[in-house]
Amino acid sequence: MTTPVLEIRNLHARIEEREILKGVNLVIPQGEVHAIMGRNGSGKSTLSYVLAGKEDYEVTEGEILLNGENILEMEPDERAAAGLFLAFQYPIEIPGVATMTFLKAAINAQRKARGEGELSTPDFMRAVKEAGAQLNVDSAMLKRPLNVGFSGGEKKRAEIMQMALLKPSLAVLDETDSGLDIDALQVVSKGVNALRDGKRSMLVITHYQRLLNHIVPDVVHVFSDGRIVESGDKDLALKLEAEGYANYGGEAA
Amino acid sequence: MVRPNFPVRLGAAEEALIAQLKSAGADQAAERVTVAGLPTRRVESYHYTDLKTLLRAVPPMGQPANQVDVPALAIAGSYNLTLINGAVFQQGEAPAGLKVGTVTGGVLTTRDDILVHVNNGLAREALSLDVASGAEQIVQIARRIEGEAAHVADAVKIFVGDGAKATIVETFTGSKAAHVGNHATYLALGKDAVVTHVTIDLSGRETSHFATNEYHLADGAKLRTLIVHAGAGLSRTHLFPRLGGAGAHADVTGLNLVSDGQHSDITMETSHAVAHTSSQPLFKSITRGHSKAVVQGKLIVARDAQKTDAKFMHQGLMLSDEAEVLSKPELEIYADDVVCGHGSTCGKLDEDSLFYLLSRGIPKAEAETMLVRGFIAELIDPIEDDALNEALQGIVDGWLLTGQ
Ligand SMILES: Nc1ncnc2c1ncn2[C@@H]1O[C@H](COP(=O)(O)OP(=O)(O)O)[C@@H](O)[C@H]1O
Ligand SMILES: [Mg+2]
Repeated sequence: MTTPVLEIRNLHARIEEREILKGVNLVIPQGEVHAIMGRNGSGKSTLSYVLAGKEDYEVTEGEILLNGENILEMEPDERAAAGLFLAFQYPIEIPGVATMTFLKAAINAQRKARGEGELSTPDFMRAVKEAGAQLNVDSAMLKRPLNVGFSGGEKKRAEIMQMALLKPSLAVLDETDSGLDIDALQVVSKGVNALRDGKRSMLVITHYQRLLNHIVPDVVHVFSDGRIVESGDKDLALKLEAEGYANYGGEAA
Repeated sequence: MVRPNFPVRLGAAEEALIAQLKSAGADQAAERVTVAGLPTRRVESYHYTDLKTLLRAVPPMGQPANQVDVPALAIAGSYNLTLINGAVFQQGEAPAGLKVGTVTGGVLTTRDDILVHVNNGLAREALSLDVASGAEQIVQIARRIEGEAAHVADAVKIFVGDGAKATIVETFTGSKAAHVGNHATYLALGKDAVVTHVTIDLSGRETSHFATNEYHLADGAKLRTLIVHAGAGLSRTHLFPRLGGAGAHADVTGLNLVSDGQHSDITMETSHAVAHTSSQPLFKSITRGHSKAVVQGKLIVARDAQKTDAKFMHQGLMLSDEAEVLSKPELEIYADDVVCGHGSTCGKLDEDSLFYLLSRGIPKAEAETMLVRGFIAELIDPIEDDALNEALQGIVDGWLLTGQ
């Protein structure tokens, strides 16, 4: 059996003395798309931040293996270079940093970390144009400072565009559907599906089943109070949508 | 200003100034220093920059020197002039539309400020520039203090004619010694003139750098200033923009780049003298190590200056815990139909922004540099001249690279 792209073993994490993740176990084999569904406040974003290496969280127990390599000791930029990508639930606006400058810095930093040469400017422009076309990210958006003044939908499209350019082996999408109208949802889903190539794995975090009609998962996990409490196929999402999260205990959101 | 009713105790720096002023025949200025001494924190405009404690010694007056070489910045198409220890050097013939000459004596309007008195008393030969009406000019003035530690008072007087467009860059550099530079710039803008005035202090750490800039704007004139402090151990620029014609607008901006052991102060007093003028003073300070950045901004709106629109802003970015960023806004408004305000913010690099950049694979040092550049983009982006814009970015990058 090939090494899974992601393996999380008994992961516990806390922030400011408060335990949020309480023993997460999860294996995502190569090429599979797994969904995590759970009520607000159950710890889904926390899981995504801990995966990406945000400093505020303290991992007290457990392991995270990315392509077989323990990443807990790695800095966020090293994790990215190792193939991890997080599409933020709330992408950060950074005034004064041009989107194009940012994209080029990110691509070249990852290439450098992997011992590859810098992308030439024409190759970079071509790649951006291609990824932009697919996600309706036009040149006017690219000329603006990073995420500044982007609508909710524009921010999410820009996140997926970054993912298309950075070509991670594991993409974590945190509530990529939130704030999207149905048209934007289709554009984003199409962009995500285009990146499913049988090798790249994805962890799709969502609160609503709706997204999973567009990005059809191989496995659905129910997340409650800091851990996975049930796993099943895509029909589990439909069941959740019908019955709500009430059967899974924890505090009401 | 609080006036002492007893003689102030004079220190070595003041004694030296008085002797220099007397031997220059500037008896009135010498008298001012004798009576008032160097400003202490009780003088409002020097509240955070107490010169009595910060300026302990004043070296002998600078002697004429004549080494002229390349300008500090490479700016395509600029006409270059140099002032070394106060003496004017003209390189090559001035382009059409620009008249270069000298005038004797000080250039600053007399006001209750010791550094102004000293400059007017000591500046012998001021560089004078006349940009003809309708002309377009890029001028670079390198002001240098060379040789052994010296006290230099130099002055520049610039007239930009009606409808003319000028970019004027002044750099302050020199030998590494405990110089005291007292620099004056008088800049008058004719009707509808458009001027960008950039001054950059790149002098050595041992140097104390003082500059006083006076601006006069006629109807419809547009001024953009950018004051950059990136050199001297003690630096202070005092700005006096005066909007004297309807439709005049001033973007008065400045940047304190302050490292360990440095003290950097930009103080502004903008006068809106007539109706329908506007100004947008925007200052930023970046501090690291044990250092101090000061920005004081005063907006004075005369009684008849209705419809004035002015907002003063100072933003600080602290890259260390030991640094201090100080702000003092002041509004003195005598008109009733105006929109005036002030604000200030101060903080560290935003953790969430940093994490976002890291999460895309950008290493920490590079991500921090990107955020710092982003912080000051608002000041540098509006500088239209590409070469100047690039040179400014280079100065900031250089400052970031030298660490500490
Ligand atoms: N910075 C923080 N400090 C303290 N508690 C936090 C912080 N961030 C999140 N939490 C708490 O952690 C829990 C999980 O939040 P989160 O991971 O955002 O949930 P979800 O993404 O599932 O809605 C919530 O109870 C939230 O209030
Ligand atoms: Mg969340």
